[in-house]
Amino acid sequence: MNQPERNPLRRPVTRRDTLRVLAGSGAAAAAALTAGCGSKDERTTLRWWSPQASPDQLKAYKAQIAAFEAANPTIRVVFEATSDEGYPAQFATAFAARQLPNLVTHLPSFAAQQYYAEGLLEPVDDVIKAIGIDRYFAGANEVYRTSDKHYCATGIGNTAADMLWYRKDLLAAAGITAPPATWDELRSAAQKMQRDGIYGAALPYGMNAMTSLIFIGFIHRAGGQVFSPDLQVAIDSQPTYDALAFFQSMREFCPTGASNFSWGESLTAFVSGSTATGIYSGRVLANVAAQNPAIADAIGCTTYPTMSRDIPAWTYNDFPCLLIPKGAPHLAETKAFAASLYQPQLYAQQMHAAPGHVLPVLRAVADDGFYRANPLITRYAAEVDLMTKAATAGHNLGQETAAHKPNLKANEIIASNAIAELVQRVVLNKENPKAAVAATAVRLAELMRA
Amino acid sequence: MALIAPTILVLGAVIVYPLLSAIYLSFFSIYTPTLEGHFVGLANYRDLLGSGGFWSALVTTAIWTVGTLTLQILVGVGMALLLQQNILFRSLARGLVLFPYFLSTVVAVLVWRWLFNDLYGILNQMLMNAGIIAAPVNWLGAMPNAMLSIMVVGAWKFFPFVVIAVLARLQTIPESLYEAARIDGAGPVSRFFDVTLPQLRDVLTIVILLRTVWDFKEFDLIYLMTGGGPVNGTRTLPLIVYNQAFGLNQMGMAAAYAVSMMLVMLVFMLAYLRRANARSEADSAA
Repeated sequence: MNQPERNPLRRPVTRRDTLRVLAGSGAAAAAALTAGCGSKDERTTLRWWSPQASPDQLKAYKAQIAAFEAANPTIRVVFEATSDEGYPAQFATAFAARQLPNLVTHLPSFAAQQYYAEGLLEPVDDVIKAIGIDRYFAGANEVYRTSDKHYCATGIGNTAADMLWYRKDLLAAAGITAPPATWDELRSAAQKMQRDGIYGAALPYGMNAMTSLIFIGFIHRAGGQVFSPDLQVAIDSQPTYDALAFFQSMREFCPTGASNFSWGESLTAFVSGSTATGIYSGRVLANVAAQNPAIADAIGCTTYPTMSRDIPAWTYNDFPCLLIPKGAPHLAETKAFAASLYQPQLYAQQMHAAPGHVLPVLRAVADDGFYRANPLITRYAAEVDLMTKAATAGHNLGQETAAHKPNLKANEIIASNAIAELVQRVVLNKENPKAAVAATAVRLAELMRA
Repeated sequence: MALIAPTILVLGAVIVYPLLSAIYLSFFSIYTPTLEGHFVGLANYRDLLGSGGFWSALVTTAIWTVGTLTLQILVGVGMALLLQQNILFRSLARGLVLFPYFLSTVVAVLVWRWLFNDLYGILNQMLMNAGIIAAPVNWLGAMPNAMLSIMVVGAWKFFPFVVIAVLARLQTIPESLYEAARIDGAGPVSRFFDVTLPQLRDVLTIVILLRTVWDFKEFDLIYLMTGGGPVNGTRTLPLIVYNQAFGLNQMGMAAAYAVSMMLVMLVFMLAYLRRANARSEADSAA
């Protein structure tokens, strides 16, 4: 008896059918990939890393890349975002795996000094020469000078990262006529302005890099230093105790969650109007304009107060820089691209992407009408000029003062959170400051020896 | 031999080689970016065991593991029992309960940090509106709140694994056992402790073992929630391994920490194997 013919569409799917389909799909995919190889992009690829990658900044980078690619049709540039907290890990693995980016921008100067000292970076003397050293602010590249008389990096911008941001309306309501200039004035102002759900300040007390970087500034604003100019540990001193005492006294004027604050939370606290003062860079300007325009006319900034008027201001500038990892291919093309980033109009557009946050290192650009025509830079001209001046004279742990030798361990000291831990031990755990500072001094000495 | 060669090769590549590499690296002082260094013998282990940091982190890791695992088991078993009942939309509920497990840790942490936020977080707002607290609670920046918070988030993230395993076992428990218990006058609580729990013992042993190992080495959730703070209140061993390897660029010391962690977990593994063998022998004898 003949079996009725089965409708192939009704036939149940067997394991063998599935395997056939999978094998067929695999073969088709392989064929497509092989065919694709014939038409793959033959251009030389340069990889560019940066932790500064807000949407507006990405747009500016794309314009710079497009201009370079148009002038160099055989090259394509790929941008890859990193992060401020995560770059040490990304760098370590990139170097270890020899999967290096060609160009990195916006890393702090102390990272560049450390990597160069370990033989991981190319000197960028050629790039600086191509840009023209006279076009920079005087001494702008000194922080990148190395012991072998080269430049390990060059500045791509400046940042005055710890300005005191304040609300003029709240100061006036509290009967304060001028922004605070000393710690006592700031504490008093914070106390008077703290009401109606608004806190006085947005200082960071978290276990992170921000707390370390910011607190180092307070040691200097008390007249102290973390290391002596010849890099002996000098943190165990009266100014450090004074800075800790001030930080402790300000805790009650900061939001409850400040003990977990990093850059983002601290910025948002001020921008959202939750605090009457903030500590941040010029990023405040763009964020207030976009997120809380109601307070845009009421904000202002000054250098962060010092313990007393006879102690000069100390501004934290991470000296965001451009560096070239050693061993990455296409060095000549990379240097050409690096120099192209400083083409005045496109460079100014890059600054416009984060107005007041990344400040120009090229003097001509800073004074140029095109740069200054940006609406936020025009509106806050006094603040931008002040930040530019403060950042130009700024410092960081990599070189605490002009008299200091470059500290090649600064990157690892910040990553260790040793200084943030000191702040937390004293402020949150109420530990004896002398014992906590002594323990930190020992830890710093160990890190310097490691 | 030829037949098992592929298995041996794969296991060698993905387990034995990394394990031996970690042990080998732990005897060196190595700068992470260049992977260059020199032999230091047992110095890394001497420094590690002599430092208070290791022992403090080990205790913290144990507290986190026990705390979050206990919550996972309690919530997981409870939820599995609920989903075993004839409730409305049971299939939908069984699907939805897996949601936290599938969610990326980064996304989950962002959401929870937002919930815990003292200025804008809904948790503090709700508690204040209900009159339970007068001022925002510092959930992540003070102890013991930070540890409790990460335990809760860990339990929320990973309890679905317990639900899946327990629910699968619940469905195979013969109904006759419950009928017999009812005839003997056992109430719901007695039926749970005298019928359900003994039947779940094997699956719970496996779940506890696996989750102990996974929670013990949990990194991303804790790192993103608290970064190990306040001070070192939530600084577990995996956070130290990461910081040593990529913050301080000391890969040798990081490997020593990782090997020490492995030895601690080995204790759990041996305990489990011993128990499994004893049970297997008992079953054979029966």
